[in-house]
Amino acid sequence: MNGIAADRPGRFSDGRSAAVRKVVVRVLATGLEIRGADGFLIAVWKTGDLIADGNWAEKRGVRLRCASEPDARLAIEDAYVIRDVLPQPPSPPRRKRHALVLACLLGAGVLAGLLLGLAPGSRLLAHLVPVGLERQWGQSIATGLEGQMKACEGRDGLRVLDALARRLAEPLPAERRQVSIHVLRSKDINALALPGGEIILFSGLLAKAEGPDELAGVLAHELTHIGQRHVTAAMIRALGVGVFATMITGDASGLVASGLGAALAGAYSREDESAADMGALSLLEAAGIGSEGLAQFFRRLEIMEGQQGQLLAWLGTHPESGSRAAAVEARRRPEPHLPALSDADWQAVKRVCSKPKP
Amino acid sequence: MSISAPLQRPFVHSGGTGAMIRLALVNLVLSVVTLSLWRFWGKTRVRRQLWGGTTAWADPVEYIGTGKELFIGFLLVLFVIYLPIVGGLAWAQVLVAAGDPLGGLVMSVLYLLTVLLVAVGLYRARRYQMSRTRWRGIRGGQTGSGWGYALRSLLVWIAVPLSLGWAWPWGEMWLARYRFNNTTFGDRRFTCDATASGLYGRFLLVWISGLLFALVAAFLAWGAAEVARGSGLSEARVGFLFTMALAVLAVIILVLPWAWYRAGFYRNLAAGIRFEGSRFAADAGAWRLMRLVAGNMVISLFSLGTLRPWASLRTFRYACAIIGVEGEPDFAAVHRSADTGPKTGEGLIAVLDGAGEF
Repeated sequence: MNGIAADRPGRFSDGRSAAVRKVVVRVLATGLEIRGADGFLIAVWKTGDLIADGNWAEKRGVRLRCASEPDARLAIEDAYVIRDVLPQPPSPPRRKRHALVLACLLGAGVLAGLLLGLAPGSRLLAHLVPVGLERQWGQSIATGLEGQMKACEGRDGLRVLDALARRLAEPLPAERRQVSIHVLRSKDINALALPGGEIILFSGLLAKAEGPDELAGVLAHELTHIGQRHVTAAMIRALGVGVFATMITGDASGLVASGLGAALAGAYSREDESAADMGALSLLEAAGIGSEGLAQFFRRLEIMEGQQGQLLAWLGTHPESGSRAAAVEARRRPEPHLPALSDADWQAVKRVCSKPKP
Repeated sequence: MSISAPLQRPFVHSGGTGAMIRLALVNLVLSVVTLSLWRFWGKTRVRRQLWGGTTAWADPVEYIGTGKELFIGFLLVLFVIYLPIVGGLAWAQVLVAAGDPLGGLVMSVLYLLTVLLVAVGLYRARRYQMSRTRWRGIRGGQTGSGWGYALRSLLVWIAVPLSLGWAWPWGEMWLARYRFNNTTFGDRRFTCDATASGLYGRFLLVWISGLLFALVAAFLAWGAAEVARGSGLSEARVGFLFTMALAVLAVIILVLPWAWYRAGFYRNLAAGIRFEGSRFAADAGAWRLMRLVAGNMVISLFSLGTLRPWASLRTFRYACAIIGVEGEPDFAAVHRSADTGPKTGEGLIAVLDGAGEF
């Protein structure tokens, strides 16, 4: 009988109150018998239910739990005897690995969702934004820009530009056709499409354009941005990236979000620019103007890119001008085309930023 | 309570630094692999080590929360609270851009709501942690309401600037009283009648040194502006030197008085806490507290937050070393409570704050 030899002092709390009492633990073939100091039986723990709960270092003991009484705690002194007697040394619960697997899968899933779903998702959402709201938003941005930079107010020139835009916008869906054009005084060779139907042309671009066909090409490009709601989609995309990054990392400071946003914005925006170039081709063809001017404009940009830092506006978010020109030229059809503007109209556009004569 | 029982130090922490640093590094690697989604499980492991290394009256404290609970809590808050707030802010942005005065209103309401939610989240995180803390098989817990706590916090945040800082000791203690009067162990409640009386002497020193710091900083700023104008040094360089000088000054002038005040605060607070006939005490001194906080800051900063578990370990050790209890509470009277605490944890604070302490 090894029971007597394995009588060990210990501490027991029953899990019903926070009291602890001194006990004597006897090891039987079937498990542990826990008795109070007065000899009354308190509990019997079956061997199969025993769960290791670490060591009781200062008393060279072990701590045990019991699967059938999960709140009770037992600590046994001088446990080397008990370790020998127990049929199987109770093992700590096996470490589960599925948390790690789950976390890995989730991480991969989120990343895949971001890469695959972001662009189509934001495009879809952009088309759900009410036109009125988009237009209001674009107008307020345009007003803000006009406040910062001086607007050019040559009436004839603006009228010509509006007419040219309307002619090019003919194939666009009806609610996208109402565009208004603003010319702002700035040396940048750039044009912007705002949400809704506002197009901003910088006077630098008008000055550098060598003919109405080039101007028509740029206008057709911006009109495609408007027609395909690129700006609104980009806003939604940026918001989506920010939300996603914050979601995954839990970094509410926005550091991760803005970094990732900037990294992805460039890639997506180049995609939009290429789409706008291709869209511009069909608008130009539909208007009978032809894509010669657009290709020419890109060729000249390419040359200027070699020289100037002024064109950085185009570089960061736009594809390289040479390859754009090549892409446009590849799609060119050798058709006779109509002039974009008459000579008189072109002169009016060129004068749009000069002071009106008294 | 008429007889003052001898002071015991029942809390002992035996967790090793090496094991904690290893765990922190493993967590770092796994977080990188899983796009940081591992952090819920990693945090849980750190807490198990922190809690599990602590013994009270020779019995170990257990942390029984799981990573899954933290993760689900995070997801819930993400979709139910964070995304609607982001959506609301985006809408408010559009309104502001459109010049609608409603936009500013919506935005300020949402910002206030977010700030309040952080306070709610802090309180609820504490409730989760208490409910996942077990000792002798009995759970801790926390009553009271997160919103009640948040509104009290708001009141303190308003009162502090209005009173030129003088409401701070009172407000801080008021909030601490609310936390501890709502802390439970089993079916019994802690009580806390700590007040800020006796703290105002220490706070006066903090206040005066704050004033002194402001004066010196103003003088330095004036001097820096003069130097920048007089010499050829670039503005950025002068600005950098100015910031460095300011940081050194802050350490010299502010830190010691502040540590002295904090030590007094902890002493007052602990002396006001009672549980089942025993009074707590904290032997907090300014010098040791300052070493703890400074060391933790250095660890967190230089490891970019990855070794924060080590800092937490130091905090646990410090708390175990200084907390004393007069006599032993009547643990036989403490029974387990029916309240099992929240099902998920800490979502609010994980989403809105990002950086938890443990």
